[in-house]
Amino acid sequence: MRPILLQGHERSLNQIKYNRDGDLLFSVAKDKVVCAWYTSNGERLGTYSGHQGAVWTCDPSPNGILLATGAADNTIKLWNIQSGECVKTWENPTAIKRVQFSEDGSRLLAVTEKRMGYLGTIVVYNIQYGEDLTQQSDEQDLKITCEESKATVAGWSYLDKYIIACHEDGSVSQYDSKTGDLDSNIEIHEYDTSINDIQFSTDKTYFITAGKDKTAKIVSARNLEVLKSYSADTPLNTAAITPRKDFVILGGGQAAMDVTTTSARQGKFEARFYHKIFEDEIGRVRGHFGPLNTIAVHPQGTAYSSGGEDGYVRMHNFDKSYFDFMYEVEREASRK
Amino acid sequence: MSAKVAGREWAEDVSDNEANDPTAIPAPVTTVNKDGTKTTVSYKIDDSGRRVKVTRKTRTTVHREKVNPEVAERRTWAKFGLEKGKSKGPQTDTTSVGENIVFRPSRDWKSVQAAEAKEGGGKAEEKSLKEQLRDKKVKCRICSGEHFTARCPYKDTMAPIGGDNEPAADPMAEDGEQAPKQGGLGTGQGGYVPPHMRKGAAANAGERMGGKFERDDLATLRVTNVSEMAEEQELRDMFERFGRVTRVFLAKDRETGRAKGFAFISFVDRAEAARACEKMDGQGYRHLILRVEFAKRTT
Repeated sequence: MRPILLQGHERSLNQIKYNRDGDLLFSVAKDKVVCAWYTSNGERLGTYSGHQGAVWTCDPSPNGILLATGAADNTIKLWNIQSGECVKTWENPTAIKRVQFSEDGSRLLAVTEKRMGYLGTIVVYNIQYGEDLTQQSDEQDLKITCEESKATVAGWSYLDKYIIACHEDGSVSQYDSKTGDLDSNIEIHEYDTSINDIQFSTDKTYFITAGKDKTAKIVSARNLEVLKSYSADTPLNTAAITPRKDFVILGGGQAAMDVTTTSARQGKFEARFYHKIFEDEIGRVRGHFGPLNTIAVHPQGTAYSSGGEDGYVRMHNFDKSYFDFMYEVEREASRK
Repeated sequence: MSAKVAGREWAEDVSDNEANDPTAIPAPVTTVNKDGTKTTVSYKIDDSGRRVKVTRKTRTTVHREKVNPEVAERRTWAKFGLEKGKSKGPQTDTTSVGENIVFRPSRDWKSVQAAEAKEGGGKAEEKSLKEQLRDKKVKCRICSGEHFTARCPYKDTMAPIGGDNEPAADPMAEDGEQAPKQGGLGTGQGGYVPPHMRKGAAANAGERMGGKFERDDLATLRVTNVSEMAEEQELRDMFERFGRVTRVFLAKDRETGRAKGFAFISFVDRAEAARACEKMDGQGYRHLILRVEFAKRTT
């Protein structure tokens, strides 16, 4: 496969996201610019400018109208995807580390950083899609304060029933999305190793976490039971579940400060493919010069993109060998 | 400024036309070839200031795909932000195509990877002992030929090359792997060990003299009543029918070069020697009748 390299950022990538149809890819980096790309040919549709600090996170709404971004300038911004205009800005006391639209797009959660005396919180806003997109309420619909350990990433579970948050201490919490009550908190990663990414399966009944403890885990959203565990030899920054094929893709690399002292060969700057069921590593894709910060998989499972510390986004379209690969037992099962 | 333009130095004029001036680059020229491809010739200045001519040949193939109407509509959106006003299609400053990456998932990816690393010229130390030995040729410790020591035709007549008290015909030693162990250098820690201090020196001390002949006698035939005109090669040919002959000794007169009338034939196997003895005793050879018997033990 021949990757398409996107060089829209001058600094390391923080998050990339496909829209629901998979024809657009959004990327955010530490350089304040938000980019939108056509995935078919790598053409840049445009940039959304307005943030004053590193942009940590982005998420397009399921209906493809709005794009939410959260940045180190303590703001959450909503953008009109088509025109590139900022339609709403919410100010917060601290930086925004993660935003995520609910499954129906009516709510938006944001994870705020613990800093300057403020505890880490998860805030939820209601989103309106009227004629005038700037008509958004300033009121927070819900505010969850993480008193014990700050939340690093969060997302909505199936039917927007729960908010699942991952914490700095390696635990995962399940909150009721209506009331904000904590249902359960289970430590799934090694104690005191932060969880850097959470991505849900297509039906949102389970999710994968990427931990600093060099493991990624698939966890059931209903009862936070660890279903599968994948171990790597490097701290993981990101993990993604591939639709269509039963694989997971993990990305990581050593901490950014150690990068210059190691060669690319041993630097482990590769996307690692694991079999979702059998937990075996089945292959790697190299190409980045730095650790992988973020991986996104096309919603139809035909492509994936990775964003690295090196400032590049690489879009890969899977070729035949990827789709043909099967374990012997899978092949037998498919014959029946 | 205007004065400078008016009164241009000839030296400046030259440098302006050269690479230093970015405006001196000719505009890209695109020509359409007969086979439908396009050739674009453009010039750019590389990092070290040299002017580089770039010839790019492109073929356009139209790939049609049915998509969601929403997706199709999005393709027609106007560009915005930093891309505002730029032409349709990917811009070369933001989008490029990477080198081809071969991605073949495999079940035991880790072991495949390890094997490839080895093939790809890993250091010799990293290779396993087995692999090191794979390409090694068999070498006889007696005659340095390409056979196992136990198969050496000279094993009963020649001492091993090393020349110490190593048992030459030890079949267990044929791999060559065990050679250092049996070299008898005591503790195996290296360093010189005097012969009398070596392992097994006491046991082998007195046996050395007769040892060779003793072994010889087990499968050696004494042939008498051999014709004067006999040749060693003829004897070897005759006796080789019964088994592997390791040595043929035909006693010859030193002055005349004629055979003295007796010979010794050594076999590898005593059973073969016994059969040869039985069959060849009383056979005619060059008008004489051979007499074959087991050689007597020399004392």
